[in-house]
Amino acid sequence: MAWPLARKVSAALLGILAGTVATTGFFTYSKLQSVLSALAESRYGVVVYAVKHNAEDQLALGFPLRQLRPVQDVIDRMKVNDSRIRGIEVFDASGAILFDTDRGAIGASVPPAWVRAAAAAGNHPFAITDEEGRIVGLPLVDSLGTVDGGVVLRYPGVHLDDLLGASLGGLARQAGLVLAVFAALGVAGSYRLFGGVRQRLETMDSVLGTVLAEGADPLPEDEPASFETDFAGFAVKAHETIHDLEDAMQDVERLDRLA
Amino acid sequence: MMARILRRLILALALLAVAAGGARADEGKAGAPHRPFRIYMALWRGWEGAAQGFKDYFANQGIPVELIVRDAAQDPSRLPEFVAEAKSLHVDLVFTWGTSVSLGMLGSGPHPDPAKYITDIPAVFAIVSQPVETGLVPNYRSSGRNITGTTYLVPVETQLNLIESYRPFKILGMVYNPLERNSLVAIDEIRRLGKAMDFTLLALPADVVDGKPSPASIPAKVAALKAGHADFLYIPPDTFLNVNRDILTAAALEQKLPSFAAAENPVVDSKAMFGGVYRYYTVGQLTALKAAQILMGGKKPANIPIDPPKRLSILINMPVVRSLGVYPPMKLLGLAEVVDPTAAK
Amino acid sequence: MKLDGAIPLFLRLVVLAVLVLVPPIGLIAWSAFDQVEQAIAPELDGKALAVGHGLTEQVERAVGLGIPLDKLVGVEEFFAPTLDANPELRYLAVTDANGKVLFLRGAEREALQPHYRTTDYDLPADQLRAVIGDYVDLALPVEVKGIRLGMVHVGMDANFVHRRVMATLVDMGVVLAVALLLASEILLFVVAVNVSGPLRRARAMMARARRGDFTRLAGVGPLDEVGLFVRGLNAVVLRTDDLYRRLAAYIDEIKSAHFDAGAIERAGMIEGRINFQYRFAVGGEPKAVQERQAVDIRLALFLFTFAEELSRPFLPLYVHALPSPFPWLTPDMAMAVPIAVFMACVALGSPWAGAITGRLGSRPVFLLGLIPAVLGFVAAGFAHTVADMTLWRAFTGFGYAVVTMACQGYMSRAARDQGRAQSLGMFVGAVLTASVCGMALGGVLVERIGFRDVFFVSAALATLSGLLAWRLHEPREPAAPARPIMRDLLALMRNWRFAVLILFAAIPSKLALTGVVYFLVPVYLAKLGYGFGDIGRVLALYAVTVVVLSPLVARLADQTGWRAGLVALGGVIGGLGLLIPALGPGLPPMMLAVFCLGLAQGLSASPQLAAVPDICWIECRNFGQTSVLAQMRLLERIGSTAGPLLGAALVPAMGYAGAIAALGVGVLASALVFAVASFAYGSGPHIQSEERA
Repeated sequence: MAWPLARKVSAALLGILAGTVATTGFFTYSKLQSVLSALAESRYGVVVYAVKHNAEDQLALGFPLRQLRPVQDVIDRMKVNDSRIRGIEVFDASGAILFDTDRGAIGASVPPAWVRAAAAAGNHPFAITDEEGRIVGLPLVDSLGTVDGGVVLRYPGVHLDDLLGASLGGLARQAGLVLAVFAALGVAGSYRLFGGVRQRLETMDSVLGTVLAEGADPLPEDEPASFETDFAGFAVKAHETIHDLEDAMQDVERLDRLA
Repeated sequence: MMARILRRLILALALLAVAAGGARADEGKAGAPHRPFRIYMALWRGWEGAAQGFKDYFANQGIPVELIVRDAAQDPSRLPEFVAEAKSLHVDLVFTWGTSVSLGMLGSGPHPDPAKYITDIPAVFAIVSQPVETGLVPNYRSSGRNITGTTYLVPVETQLNLIESYRPFKILGMVYNPLERNSLVAIDEIRRLGKAMDFTLLALPADVVDGKPSPASIPAKVAALKAGHADFLYIPPDTFLNVNRDILTAAALEQKLPSFAAAENPVVDSKAMFGGVYRYYTVGQLTALKAAQILMGGKKPANIPIDPPKRLSILINMPVVRSLGVYPPMKLLGLAEVVDPTAAK
Repeated sequence: MKLDGAIPLFLRLVVLAVLVLVPPIGLIAWSAFDQVEQAIAPELDGKALAVGHGLTEQVERAVGLGIPLDKLVGVEEFFAPTLDANPELRYLAVTDANGKVLFLRGAEREALQPHYRTTDYDLPADQLRAVIGDYVDLALPVEVKGIRLGMVHVGMDANFVHRRVMATLVDMGVVLAVALLLASEILLFVVAVNVSGPLRRARAMMARARRGDFTRLAGVGPLDEVGLFVRGLNAVVLRTDDLYRRLAAYIDEIKSAHFDAGAIERAGMIEGRINFQYRFAVGGEPKAVQERQAVDIRLALFLFTFAEELSRPFLPLYVHALPSPFPWLTPDMAMAVPIAVFMACVALGSPWAGAITGRLGSRPVFLLGLIPAVLGFVAAGFAHTVADMTLWRAFTGFGYAVVTMACQGYMSRAARDQGRAQSLGMFVGAVLTASVCGMALGGVLVERIGFRDVFFVSAALATLSGLLAWRLHEPREPAAPARPIMRDLLALMRNWRFAVLILFAAIPSKLALTGVVYFLVPVYLAKLGYGFGDIGRVLALYAVTVVVLSPLVARLADQTGWRAGLVALGGVIGGLGLLIPALGPGLPPMMLAVFCLGLAQGLSASPQLAAVPDICWIECRNFGQTSVLAQMRLLERIGSTAGPLLGAALVPAMGYAGAIAALGVGVLASALVFAVASFAYGSGPHIQSEERA
């Protein structure tokens, strides 16, 4: 026998439940993650803006970017203020690093993507994610309106699961428990629902057997059409037909024998 | 009294030379070794900020240029000779400094005489106070001919807004040179703006002695302004006042009258309280940017608008501020360049 | 509980599904959000500190320049832009060494002063955090030359994180609602395949048998309870059939071999009587009844439409992000062209698709249509430029026409057994529900996985719909003769009543749909800075309104016969609604406009169709009503195609809100023309000639 109805419907319900939990979970998690990321980005955006402001003030005095020694002090101080900052870099229009909280990197080049982002950013912050973490940056614009380079701040991407840490496990257990309870409820519900169907079908089946074996009264004519009336009509008619055919058979046998 | 700013400039110059050397080396590696552009620089009164800014721009950008520098030393009769020389040297571009040099070498109107002026060689001008009024260019969007340039005067309305943002005022005091026609024009404009901005101008002329304005009369005029309840002393970009800036600003300080200057010097190396200017150095850099657009970018001068630098320099003289006790708002302070020779920072 | 009708059992299942889905997700979210809030909060502190450091530095600079802390000027104005740029910060303040508030912006002095007075600010810097009412106060020392002169206070909104986290509930609700709709589609399908379908066929078989017709068996599905029951019923039929065959064989034997002519005659009489009273299959076993139901194909149609609608909220903006090889196209036009081309392909593909559905049957045509559709989805995910994107939209548009026509064909044939209205309702219902789900989920989805991946999701869903269509049983039926299109079209347009209906009601309403809902609304809202989630929800509002309203209006139109009036009313409401966004930018005016448009569509769509038999009496008789309706579809799609193009053409001159309003004016004017013309519907020579005909 194939799967009973209740099992099929239970399977469908559980599948839907699993799918719904998975998709809502995924969407909600990533939405919350994006809230978190946006918060982190704006947090470091504030720092980058301060560096930009400082550097542009000095650019306005006519100094070329690579001579802005005080900028090095500013970014060093920023990094001390916030231990989560991995590094702050100031680079020129060609991508060469002029100032860096990691002094060893001065003279190296930033990825071309940063230079492009800075050149295209206008006066808006840009954000980039790479394998090492997240970056928020701003272009440096001199008093002629040309982009002289950019400031970027590297920080580790913050992940919701890291922040949740230990409570994540508890949360998962709790969720699992709730889901299990409701899954069981769904299965019980569908068995109850289809138990009724099964019972009625079995009753009808046995009625059919009884009618076929013993016959029944013809149905009243004015019964409204429904599955039940069609069924009852069918049962009666089948019984009648079988009897009729058997009678006819006997008649023919009798004919055969008598002759 | 050596201005701090000049020290800075000298320092910057030294550093620039290093930087430019480095940049050139980069350029060489990048493989764009073409003949340096030859630029004929015609100056009016010697080498100063705008010329330096112009030169430094090319150095910073690593653009190789050969500068042929000529100084008219305020003598208009030398200009035809400059024109002839620039033509004979077949330079790539001409830079003219100031109204006299610019008009004298580039002419005015849509079609200057090619025999007397430079017409075939593209030219950029700087430090021309009224390029449109003098007929150098028809408007600021386009010269309509083979020149472009920069403006360097902060519009009067911007200056007044700047004063207003430092501290609201009702009466603006001003001492002026009655022999200078430009001063009278400026007074009219300030009066007109005063109607819209709701203030009155109290303008007193310096006394004229022997057909010349008298510097000695300035302190009395400032005192009269104070007595007339002026809230601010406005110092226009005027040669007479610039020359006598120490007398003027000292008088203002004595009268406890805050002063605003539309020029660099009264704030940087005198006792004006604050000022709003486009620095000559920045103006020179912007002029060089336009020159580079012509030389490197293949732009037509007529397609490059004539404009000032994007960023106004706000200068605040902290010793004066402290002695007056009239403190700048935080916002303005954040944007300003502070002049504070005593601060050991 | 009616066993063969899908609805009551299905409704109980839907209730069960809601009970199983909603509470656990609500419970989990409730407990998770609390912990998420606590986890995120320190990040906000970090930001406030960063802001505070920046401000403190400026204050220290000013004080370092010799300005006494209490004499600072314009501190409040200085704080203002920082507060404006950072909505999570509520106030900024400066206090002196005694905790006296010197400067403050964003809060009441009285609320903070008592707290500052009583707090010891000699603590180390990292402990200067306090909760004051609805604020979280971070204090940063102002120190010049090692002397602490006072504090800069950054006041955060204590409920900011809470609100941000709660805002994700909206997205979650959308996903959950879509999941419920999808669940009900799946359950409807499961019930139809396993319960109501087999029992319907059983009932059809029993109804025949009641009349003495034992020629058919009920088709048996899987052998579950219903399958076994139906097999039991079939066994009875087979038993009668078997009895009949034995009887017939016996009688044949007697007839051919019996010596007694009387016996032969009497056997013949018995045979005659049985054959008169009953019918049995001639020459073999009874055949299974394979009755079609519209609901068989519903889930496949739903999934396919769902796949297409996913890209609705962002399609123009995806196109905008692609480079355009045509510099002469304005950016707006470049966004509009792929939508217009899609609509044109749907319009042009539909008549052909209808014809081949008639010849080949729905199942192969559905599968055939999936090929370009899925190809179009996948390639759109890889699109490089506006040009190839337009081509892929054309592929999908053509596929969309073919697949939907196949479904319509299937459903309208099922209609012979179930009633036409129900099957058309089934088609429209599936498409609209899929629109609701697709638009709402598409917006949320694209925010998570990006433009390109959504097209791959669409391709996967469309493929899944193909698998469902694959298993359809489809009895072969004679091909319906295809009718030539152009000749009928001309004849139809000569009927001025029809022409008025098309030009001033059908085309404007489609034009508003594609021009505004599919193009201007997403682009405008994106320009205003709204996310795709919001855009998707605004678009879905349209479909929700139509879904809810259409059946009600259809009934109203049938009862009152007031069709032209409803069509005109719809046009007026839609036209007026489109004027709303011109009053001001933002989500609420746009939602109201889209709602009005949904209202308009809901009011006028079914009366438009219902009016056709009245006003094209002759044509319906000559060409067939189906054909006339198909022509109407074709014609109104001129509006669908023109909508985005017209919208894009208006934008440069009038802006987005202006373009929407301009289309609104157009719709309104059309509705008024239609209203005036429709007064003449009841009179004139046309009706009289029809009456004579």
